[in-house]
Amino acid sequence: MGNYYDELFKLCGFEDEEIKKERHRIEASFERLGIGPEDMDTADSWVRQNHDVSLEGVRKLLGAWLKELIDLVLAKDEGKKIVYFGFPAIIGPGLMLSASSEEVFVSAPDMVLDHTMGQIFNKLTPILEAGETNGLPQGHALCSLWQAKIGGIAKGMIPVPDLALASSYYCDMGSKADDLVNALYGVPIAYIDGVMDSKWGEYPKYLPERVHYLGAQINQALEKAEKILNIKIATDAWERSQKDSGPFRANLVKLVELMRADPVPISICELELLEALSGSSTGRGIREGIKAMEILLIELEKRVKAGMGVTKKGAPRVMVRLGHTSDPRVTRLIEDVGLAVPLTFILGSWGGVKVKPKGNYNTPGEVIADYEMTGGYYYGTEAQIKFYEKAIELMKLDGFIAQYLYNCRPVATISHAQKKYLEEKTGLPVLALEIDNFDSRAYSAASLRTKVETFAEMLKAKKSTNSQ
Amino acid sequence: MKALEKLDSHLKTRLPDLNKAKEGHKIIGYSAGGYLPEELVLACDAIPICFIQAGNNAILRDAGAYICRWFDPFWRSQIGYLTSGKDPYYNIVDLIVVPITDNHVRAFSNTLGYYTPEVESFVFGVPHVKDKIALDYYLKGINRLKKKLEDFTGIEITDYRLKQSIKLCNRERELFREISLMRKSDDFAVDSKDFVALNHGSFIADKEIMIDILELFIQEIKDSSPLPKDDPRILFTGSTLVRGDSKVMGIIEDSSGAIVMEEFAEGIRPYWGKVKTDGYLMANLAESYFMDRICPGWFRPGTERLNYLVKLAKEYNTAGLIWYQLMYRESYKVESYFFPGILKKETGLPMLVLESEYDAMETGPMKTRIETFIETIRR
Repeated sequence: MGNYYDELFKLCGFEDEEIKKERHRIEASFERLGIGPEDMDTADSWVRQNHDVSLEGVRKLLGAWLKELIDLVLAKDEGKKIVYFGFPAIIGPGLMLSASSEEVFVSAPDMVLDHTMGQIFNKLTPILEAGETNGLPQGHALCSLWQAKIGGIAKGMIPVPDLALASSYYCDMGSKADDLVNALYGVPIAYIDGVMDSKWGEYPKYLPERVHYLGAQINQALEKAEKILNIKIATDAWERSQKDSGPFRANLVKLVELMRADPVPISICELELLEALSGSSTGRGIREGIKAMEILLIELEKRVKAGMGVTKKGAPRVMVRLGHTSDPRVTRLIEDVGLAVPLTFILGSWGGVKVKPKGNYNTPGEVIADYEMTGGYYYGTEAQIKFYEKAIELMKLDGFIAQYLYNCRPVATISHAQKKYLEEKTGLPVLALEIDNFDSRAYSAASLRTKVETFAEMLKAKKSTNSQ
Repeated sequence: MKALEKLDSHLKTRLPDLNKAKEGHKIIGYSAGGYLPEELVLACDAIPICFIQAGNNAILRDAGAYICRWFDPFWRSQIGYLTSGKDPYYNIVDLIVVPITDNHVRAFSNTLGYYTPEVESFVFGVPHVKDKIALDYYLKGINRLKKKLEDFTGIEITDYRLKQSIKLCNRERELFREISLMRKSDDFAVDSKDFVALNHGSFIADKEIMIDILELFIQEIKDSSPLPKDDPRILFTGSTLVRGDSKVMGIIEDSSGAIVMEEFAEGIRPYWGKVKTDGYLMANLAESYFMDRICPGWFRPGTERLNYLVKLAKEYNTAGLIWYQLMYRESYKVESYFFPGILKKETGLPMLVLESEYDAMETGPMKTRIETFIETIRR
C-alpha cells in the first residue's frame, strides 16, 4: 500500500521496491524532520520547478541526497558512531574513517540539509533561523552552512555527533563553530590544522613543511578518531577509499568532455547536485551518486548527439565557481539570462585541470596533504584564481562569473583580485558576483538578476560582434 | 607625566629619525598580532616597526578598491594604508613581514603580494593549534625569517647578537609586566589609557628609548596618587585594540569605569613571557612567542584564552568584562556567544559585548550600552 510520500520519492528516482524497503526509515526520519503530507505538494512543485526531472540521472541524484538524509537523521538510532566534517573539506580522512568501519557514519550534515530540506522540501529557513538563535546570529557575515548545521542539531533534526573533524586548515569560522558545538553539546573535536602561508607568486610551488604539517595533523586527527570511536583504521583504508570514489572522478572527466558540446547538455543546477555530493558524503550517498552519474552520462551523450541543450546553441559560455546548494533558482538565473555554463571550479579541478603532487610521502596524512596542495583549494587564494585561468585551456569560454561568498572569508579574499587577474591574463570579461551560496534570503535570484542580466547582454553583444 | 611627554616627543620625530636611520639600517615593517619576534630584527641591526594604526572609517573606503567589506576593519585599514600610503610608516619600510594567523591577515598578505609586488615582503604562518608539530612549524617559519633578514641586511644573526636583543626585549616586557601588575592592588595609579598608549608607542619607538620611558613611567607612578577606588574595575578584552581606536576606552572612562586589564590579540604587546637566554635561542623564541603565549581567539580550541580571562577576572578583582570585537572577526564573534555563560558560572560576573567597524555612528548606541553596563555593575 502506498503512502503520501511515494510519488515524491518516485520523482526523486526511488524504485517501488526501494520505497517499500525504506518505508519505516523514511517515516522515522520524516517525523524527526517535521515533514508530513502537507509538505508534499510544495516539494513536488519545487523539485519540478528547479530540476530537470526528465533526466533519470537527475532524479537518481536527488534520490541519492534523500538516502544520505535518511541515513544521517537515523544514524544515532541505528547505532552508528557519527562523525561530522565541515564543508568544504579535505575529504580523505572522512573517507578513510568510513572505509574502516561500517559502524561509522561520516558526513557533512549541513550540505545534506541544504540539498534536501532546501532543494527538495523548501523548508530550510526555519533551520537557518534556529542556527541564528543558537550562537550564529544574522548580520555578522557568519557562515550560513554552519547556521544550518547548528540549527539542525538544535531542532533535533540531526543527531549530535560523536566526533567533529574540524577543517582548521581552511576556515576560521568552521573550527570556531566546532568549538561552539563543543560548548553546547560537549562534542569532542579532532582539529586538522594547516596554514595557508605561501607567498603570492609561489604557486604551484610549496614548502615541504606545509605538507609535513598538514599531513601530521591529519594523521593525528585519525589517531584521535580511532580512540574516540573505538575503531581501527585499516592499513589499506586510503587505497580502498580511493578505489571506492575512483569511479566518481572518472565519471567527472567524462562529464567534462560532454560539457564541451554546444549547446551544453545539462544545467549547472544538476551538476551542483553531483559536485556537492562528492564533497559531502562518504557513504551511501556517494555510492548512489556514482550509479546516478552513469545513467546521466548515457542520457547526456544522447542529448549531445541530438544537439539538445539547456541554452541556445552559440550562447556565450561562462565558467562559475559553483552552484547554489539550497536554492537552485539562484544558479538557474545564469542560464535564464541566456548564458551557458559548461564548467565550474569543482568540475575543472576534479574532472579536468591536473597538477601532479610533488613528492613521495609515506603516511596517509602526508599523501593526502600533498594531493591537496596541488589541488589548489587548500593551497591559498593564488592557486584558486590560477585554476580559473587554466580552465580556458580545458574549455572554450567567453567569460567568467567569479562568485565570491560574502560570509566565507577564505573565498571572499578573491573578491577583487580574481576579476583583475583573470581579465588581465585571459582578456575575457569577468563579473565579480557577491553571493551567499547556502542561503538565498539576502542574496536571492531576484536581487542578483540585474547584475547577471547586464553581464549576459554584454557578453552576447560581444560575441555577436566578434562573429560578424 | 614626563614619561608620556617623552614618548610623545619621541614619536613626533620618529619618522624623520627613521628617514635618517635608513642610511645605515634597514627598516622592517611587520603586521600586528605579536608573532614576529622583534629580537630577530634587532639582532641584525635593523629597526622593527609594527603597523598598528586604525580606527578611522575613511580608510576603509580606500581598502574597498581591493577587498570586499566582509573583513575585519583593522585588516581592511591595513589594506587601505598599504595601498594609499596614508600611513607614512608603510612608505618608509624596506621589507614587510607578515605572520599569517587567520584569513583576515591572509587577505592583507594577498593584497601585499598581488597589488604591491614592488614592496618586498616575507610571509610565514602561525598554526592555530598548540602542539609539538605546530611548534616545530612555527620554529621553521621564524628560522626562514632569520635567514631572510640575514640575507636582506647582510648581517649574520649570531648567538651573541640574538642574546643581546633577547635581553633588551625581555627588559621591555618585564617593565610592561611590572606596570600591569600594579593594577592588581586597590591602590593603583596606572590609567589604562596611559598603559595602552605606552604599548602602542612601543611598537614604533626605538627600543632603548622605550625602555627609558617605561622606567621613568614606573618611577612616576610610584610617586603618584592612586586613582579613585569607587569606579567599577573592568577587564577589557577582544581581538584588536590599536593606535587610533580610542572610542570605546574613552566612553568607558567617561562613564567612570576603571579598566584594570587589557587582553587583546592585536595592538597590545604580549608582555607576560620571558625568552630564555641559554640553549638554542631560536627554539627559545618559538617557545615563548608561540607556546607560552596565551593564544588569541583564532586558535582552536579557544579554551586556554577563555580560562585565562576567567583567571584575570578573578585576580584583578573585576566587577565585569567588556568584550570588544571588530566586525566580521568570526572567531571572536562565535566565542562571544558561549563565553558569558562560562564567565558567569566561574566568577558570577556579567559581560558586555561591543562590536565596531570604526564608524562614528556607533558612538551613541555604544555610550548608552556602556553607561548602562557600568551602572549595573557598580557596587
